[in-house]
Amino acid sequence: MKDAQITLQINGEEYRLNVAVNRTLLEVLRDQLGMTETKYGCGTGECGACTVLVDGDKAINSCLTLAATMDGKRITTAAGFANFGELNYIQQAFTDEAAIQCGYCTPGMIVKTASLLAKNPDPTEQEIRHALEGNICRCTGYEKIVKAVKKAARTAPGAAVAEPAASVEVAQ
Amino acid sequence: MKPESIVGTSAQRVDVKDKVTGQAQYAADIQLPGMLYGKVVRCWEHAHARVVRLDLSAAAKSPGVVKVLGPADVTANKYNSSVLDLMVSEPMHDLLGDIDDQAIFTTHVKYQGDAICGIIAKSEEAAERAAAKVIVEYEPLPVYLTAEASRQPGAVQFVPEKPGNRAFQLPEPMFPDHALGGGDVDAAMREADVVVEDVFYVPKQKQCQMEPHAYVAKFDNAGRLTCWTSSQMPKLVQAKLAKLFDLPMARVKINATVIGGGFGARLGLISEPQACAMALAVPGHPVKLQTLREEDWAISPSRHPGRYWMKLGFKKDGTPVACDARFENYKGGYYLDASGTAFTAGAWLSGMYKFPALRYRGESYFTNQGLTGAFRGYGNPQTNFALEQLIERACAQLGIDPVEWRKKWHKGVGDDGWCAGVTYPSCALDECLDRGAAAIDWAEKRRRYANQTGTLRRGVGVAVMNHTSGAMPMLLEHTACTVKLNEDATAEVIFACSDMGQGSHTALKQIAAETLGFPFDDVQLASPGSDAGFDIGAHASRTLYVGGAAVKAACEDAKRQLFARAADRLQVPADQLDIRDKKIFAKADPQRSIDVEAITRGGVYHFVDPMTGETTGAPGQIQGYVSFFPPHNSPPFGASFAEVEVDTETGEVRVLDVVNTHDIGRAINPAAVEGQLEGGIQQGLGFVLTEETYYDDRGRMLNNSFTDYKMFGPSDMPKITTILVEDADPVGPFGAKSVGESGLVSPIGAVANAIYHALGIQFTEAPITPEKVLKGIREKGVAQVAH
Repeated sequence: MKDAQITLQINGEEYRLNVAVNRTLLEVLRDQLGMTETKYGCGTGECGACTVLVDGDKAINSCLTLAATMDGKRITTAAGFANFGELNYIQQAFTDEAAIQCGYCTPGMIVKTASLLAKNPDPTEQEIRHALEGNICRCTGYEKIVKAVKKAARTAPGAAVAEPAASVEVAQ
Repeated sequence: MKPESIVGTSAQRVDVKDKVTGQAQYAADIQLPGMLYGKVVRCWEHAHARVVRLDLSAAAKSPGVVKVLGPADVTANKYNSSVLDLMVSEPMHDLLGDIDDQAIFTTHVKYQGDAICGIIAKSEEAAERAAAKVIVEYEPLPVYLTAEASRQPGAVQFVPEKPGNRAFQLPEPMFPDHALGGGDVDAAMREADVVVEDVFYVPKQKQCQMEPHAYVAKFDNAGRLTCWTSSQMPKLVQAKLAKLFDLPMARVKINATVIGGGFGARLGLISEPQACAMALAVPGHPVKLQTLREEDWAISPSRHPGRYWMKLGFKKDGTPVACDARFENYKGGYYLDASGTAFTAGAWLSGMYKFPALRYRGESYFTNQGLTGAFRGYGNPQTNFALEQLIERACAQLGIDPVEWRKKWHKGVGDDGWCAGVTYPSCALDECLDRGAAAIDWAEKRRRYANQTGTLRRGVGVAVMNHTSGAMPMLLEHTACTVKLNEDATAEVIFACSDMGQGSHTALKQIAAETLGFPFDDVQLASPGSDAGFDIGAHASRTLYVGGAAVKAACEDAKRQLFARAADRLQVPADQLDIRDKKIFAKADPQRSIDVEAITRGGVYHFVDPMTGETTGAPGQIQGYVSFFPPHNSPPFGASFAEVEVDTETGEVRVLDVVNTHDIGRAINPAAVEGQLEGGIQQGLGFVLTEETYYDDRGRMLNNSFTDYKMFGPSDMPKITTILVEDADPVGPFGAKSVGESGLVSPIGAVANAIYHALGIQFTEAPITPEKVLKGIREKGVAQVAH
């Protein structure tokens, strides 16, 4: 199989890579780079566990994307939102709303939320649910995930509506 | 409870940061030096066939291949991938007729996806390429998709031990006449004024956990086999693998990885035997076996589908007199879990209402459908779909409000639960029904929807359920737990209980912190897998109830030792001491106190003063320990209410509103309990409306993808209300009962009954798809249900 030389900016770092032209972005991230935060769920673009963000606002299924076609792109994974242990507002919202159970869909959900809020900073509940259609969660019934996305919209840096203080239960 | 209690708060999950950043390590994320990659070659062409030729020579020569393994290259021992056989005594095992009928690689294909051989290669790609070069020739056998087909005289026998392909029936003498229950059902039924009866079909629902099965296995140079797996049951998997490969348990180690959803799919073994057989073939090299989603569809044992016949009798005033039922399930190709669901479906049935005469028969028949095994609810969803619809029909005929009837006739405190002789210690179902009815505006909506016209018809329905907290006395219930106090007065709790994602580890940590009197953050959990003491595993909604009680007992043991030493130091009897903020003090005189750390540090760093020869305090690190067997199974109850809108032109059912109430006893972590009830609704709605595995006539799956197998998505979900009714159970830890499986059960009956209310038609086959609704409307016409 032929190789292609590509440059990807992943979570702020630049990577010059030799990738086989038949390798998906998911395979390159997980197997070649060891970035296992992006998950394999189906390999056919149906579950959204492998969602990554391209150029800051576009969510794609990395299992359906050949890495060689992504030359020069800026890729963000769920790990890329955290700054050395400090969670970003989306991750914090998922934490506060207890929107996580098994956690396997979570990285994809967080990326999809980032993509939604980049395009639509103040989505309605219907818009949130519609945006999450490509990301399957089998644990939560989506209830707390939708709440987390709403909270993320409220707490985004520069969000119009300020978060009411101390609205959630916190561990002692 | 003290005001500063951590129990009863929605403490933040212990694993949340790992999960929101993607750092949680699932089995597929493990990367080890020198790792090789395994691939199981499966039979996709046939659901029933004999292998007449297997030629691995071309595959063996394929680039990058290290070894190929056929049936003759692995142990000839058979196994049973369920673990139920390890949870019963030897005589019970014999009575049930458990058999080991699975081979690591088979020559008799019994379902589509059965394992034929294995490839070990230097990369996944090389393994895939080699797999394509395996030559297999099959002799096709007749395909039996139902019990009716496989029990016909002359049908190919799946195993010699089970004539007529009947894998299981309730055994005599434990179940006289092969039936569960009691009383003279035939005589009682003759006395009934109103009799309702029907035959139902319950669907083959898949768990669809988001993490496909993945393993890493290694046979190290010291002769120890290690398997990294997301099994729900690390200790029983250790025992199963040790037996399968003739190794002592000390040479089989299970490393428990983060579980990407279980719902029963990981109850016992899945492909651990294949992964470990490969590791044993290449000593010193770890082998990763990543299951593709299409394989996961085939090899994860689904819910048991089948025919469920039921007949109920009542007096005119609504008094229930007799219940007669028979559930015949389509087992799939192998024996695993043949006994479990066939029994429990009847157990839940017997535990629900006060029928003085009840007879339930449960049977499992081999078929060439995919495997069946444990799935959240374990027989209860099937029973709920049949029982709750028939109760509803009876209420309509009797002219009694369905909520009122259920309040009057459900079993409660002092009545036999799902196991005769084990009575309910607590029951808050009345309050569940009252609060649920109020939340959905039951009386008003039943009235409002009684006279509808037009295309869109609405209805509201109710259903109830009983479940269990652990499986005693039918199955072994045992959890060992160690609590180690560090010298700096922090604690480590060590056990093998798995957290499948439901948040049990967080709740168990809350129980530990509360019991010890330590701050939440000063308690650490270690759940290393088989290195911990015995634990049955995460099943039967037991982890919080049994595991939590074990954690509590082990922490009480540590605290007892701590207080004994404090009593010595303070010269105050131990029973007059209390603990707060890691300080032990006399209740009567709080100034008289000692820091916990003075005891724990002094116990570890115990010096003899070289000048005086004197010592301070008692020597020894404090460890609490328990090997815990619960005295009960404190069943929880639940009531669900649903509102639906049915389009009589398209047959589509929209679920508008679901209220899920739960008799939790006490919620250790309310957010986690809500999460179970909310997620349960999504799976329950799937069972009743959309989820089914379809096969062609040759037994090949038609909808093994997330596109073709329809689950409720975020836009399909209704408005959800969860109500936790807290009425402390006298047995459970801090009064808690279970919630893990319950949430999906009664939404099933509630939705079916809401459709009945909307259309006046009952649908006996799940899932109730638009095609079935339209067919029902065409054949029966839309009618009104008065109540």
